[in-house]
Amino acid sequence: MFQGMNFAPAQLPGELEALRTEVREFLNAETDWHPNSDFNAGASPEFSKRFAAKGWIGMTWPKEYGGGGRSFLERYVVTEELLAAGAPVGCHWIADRQSGPLLLKFGTEAQKQAFLPGIISGESFYSIGMSEPDTGSDLASIRTSAVQVPGGWCLNGSKIWTSNAHLNHFMVTLVRTAPATENRHEGMSQFIVPIHADGVTVRGIDNLAGEQDFNQIFFDDVFVPDDHVVGEAGNGWAQVMSELAYERSGPERFLSAFRVLAEFGKSLQNDATESQARLYGQLVAHLVVLRRMSISIASLLENGLMPDTEAALIKDLGNSYERLVPEVVRLYLPGQVPKGLAQALEECVLHAPSFTLRGGTREILRGMIARGLGLR
Amino acid sequence: MNEEQQLIGEMARRMLDDHCGPAVVDAAEQGDYPSALWTLLVDNGLTTLGIDEALGGAGGTFGDALVVLREAGRKAAPLPLAETLLAGQLLSSLEQRLPTGPMCFVQGDVSLNESGQLQGSVHGVKFARHCQTLLVAARRGEDPVICHIPAGTVAVTQGKDLAGEPSDDLDLFVQVQPQACFEIDEAKLDAVLVWGAAMRSVMMAGALEEALAATVGYALERKQFGKAIAKFQAIQQQLAVFATQVAASTRAAETLMVQSEIASIDVAIAKARIGEAAGICAEIAHQVHGAIGYTRDHRLNHLTRRLWAWRDAFGHEAYWQERLGRTLLADQTGDLWQQVTALG
Ligand SMILES: Cc1cc2nc3c(=O)[nH]c(=O)nc-3n(C[C@H](O)[C@H](O)[C@H](O)COP(=O)(O)OP(=O)(O)OC[C@H]3O[C@@H](n4cnc5c(N)ncnc54)[C@H](O)[C@@H]3O)c2cc1C
Repeated sequence: MFQGMNFAPAQLPGELEALRTEVREFLNAETDWHPNSDFNAGASPEFSKRFAAKGWIGMTWPKEYGGGGRSFLERYVVTEELLAAGAPVGCHWIADRQSGPLLLKFGTEAQKQAFLPGIISGESFYSIGMSEPDTGSDLASIRTSAVQVPGGWCLNGSKIWTSNAHLNHFMVTLVRTAPATENRHEGMSQFIVPIHADGVTVRGIDNLAGEQDFNQIFFDDVFVPDDHVVGEAGNGWAQVMSELAYERSGPERFLSAFRVLAEFGKSLQNDATESQARLYGQLVAHLVVLRRMSISIASLLENGLMPDTEAALIKDLGNSYERLVPEVVRLYLPGQVPKGLAQALEECVLHAPSFTLRGGTREILRGMIARGLGLR
Repeated sequence: MNEEQQLIGEMARRMLDDHCGPAVVDAAEQGDYPSALWTLLVDNGLTTLGIDEALGGAGGTFGDALVVLREAGRKAAPLPLAETLLAGQLLSSLEQRLPTGPMCFVQGDVSLNESGQLQGSVHGVKFARHCQTLLVAARRGEDPVICHIPAGTVAVTQGKDLAGEPSDDLDLFVQVQPQACFEIDEAKLDAVLVWGAAMRSVMMAGALEEALAATVGYALERKQFGKAIAKFQAIQQQLAVFATQVAASTRAAETLMVQSEIASIDVAIAKARIGEAAGICAEIAHQVHGAIGYTRDHRLNHLTRRLWAWRDAFGHEAYWQERLGRTLLADQTGDLWQQVTALG
């Protein structure tokens, strides 16, 4: 029978408030960006480098690789502060959240030595290469493939929707390295492909908002040396699946519309009508509960658990919330709409369709929740 | 929740599992009050949790009482448990000893005149007919007072709320002793509202958890087109939404249970959030159950009718949303993000 999900109350330890203050002070001094709390909305290599200098990239990684050896909850505080401030996190976000932890877990010793220091110093930026023109939700259907050649692999195919590939240095690319068998999940590997390698072409794609944020990548007989295969060849699927709870449960899954809410509140102050105050209260109530749920998961992760279903659940709930915020705030704007609010709202409306697609669509997440409920 | 709360919750759950099945709930609606179950709860100290032993309570925290109330919500326990715990909280906050027997708090258009006469009528008092003590909120002139009166002194017209639970109209015309009346401030009346909202929040959370388990169970059992309806993606997607709402409700409710001092802002968040979930989930539960769920015979109605009643009691979503919004907007100590992180 269905046993319920694990969102036991957990709190960020009080001693993390000093770190929070430090991050806020750093961000207050950094003013040369246009704030947007969608993690995909802004990218600045300079910002990421200054941020790294504070020791806040790879802060949970072991000290022997140059990491900070700090807790996952400390990282939680840092990342949520970044998003709430609307900082341009796009360059380092994926490397810090995903690529580094992947290498730590599955990479060879030489790979950890070779790749982690650049991430930690805010100089190497990573993209995720999973989706393809004919492969979205059904990730096991990828066709990008590689054949073994002396010293490595020869890679051909194409990836698409690759966020920030035009700014980044490496792309962790899921590739078929053996023909599909009965078990579709076998025969895949992940390669660390330098985006500027011979045979790699990056073609920008404008998103709906008219920004260049994602790309299509073409691999044309790209040589990938053996030491750029993450861990062992053939282990790609397990690698991809292992990090889902990290990817899906963080504050970026419910804070994308935060600027809209914050600007809405600033515009109301004490003049709120009944319906404005009500809407504001409703949206804050959702936000507070989402954050508490997300912190509950962060505590499970800190304790070494992998709550995949809970992570899918909070991403779905958080994404739905992010989509709701602009839809309803627009109906209750004050008579004089301040510029900051108007702009945040416009940007959010244009970005909103991506919230329930990227990182696993709403329908796929709900399918995972249904599995957790024992329905399938 | 701490270990003690886990144990309290398990104890309450066992007791209710054994003695508060669907038949008991149905019988109660027909007027067969489960007094043996009430006695069991009394004997185990569950009706006075969160009240100092020195005042005749069972000790523990208000959060402990909420833990039990979630279980009562899960089982749709047709007893004045929340009412008695709420009145007990009020008495203990006035440093008064608890009387024995079920109690309820009564608030409406009631005045206390110079000669000590309590007068007025109050509509829809939950479980009043089963209570032995009434704590009546009245006005002496403009000033709020609480009067402690034996239930037998009041004319009761029996009624039901939409959950089918006793909801009675009271006509008061009672001479009260001065020592049975306590002057209070408006903040105390607000505290009662907050406690009541906290109680209904956790009861809804319990009912929602139960309704989800029941609906998942039904979807796995019910077959159409040659397979369990759980296998249809349309059903799976609805139940996933149900689960997200329940998870949020549980989290919001447990926040209240683990607090050493109940914070009204967290109650506002819980009541607004869980009240919203109640409507969404009741709709899905009934959709997935089909026609059988639309009958009085099926136990789903024990939960969904209570969800619909409880979301309106002690302030509905709109009330708490607006109150929360105004509180935050008026607070000049920090911006929204500082407020959110300070809430933890
Ligand atoms: C802003 C943005 C950034 C992105 N960045 C990256 C990136 O950096 N790297 C990367 O690899 N990818 C990236 N993606 C791609 C993202 O992972 C895919 O969009 C996602 O996996 C869905 O794939 P798709 O878009 O091809 O949709 P499809 O899988 O074709 O789905 C289309 C619709 O069908 C539904 N559907 C599909 N299968 C099922 C099913 N079994 N049951 C029910 N419904 C189903 C989907 O939910 C969706 O509604 C990005 C996407 C966006 C929008």
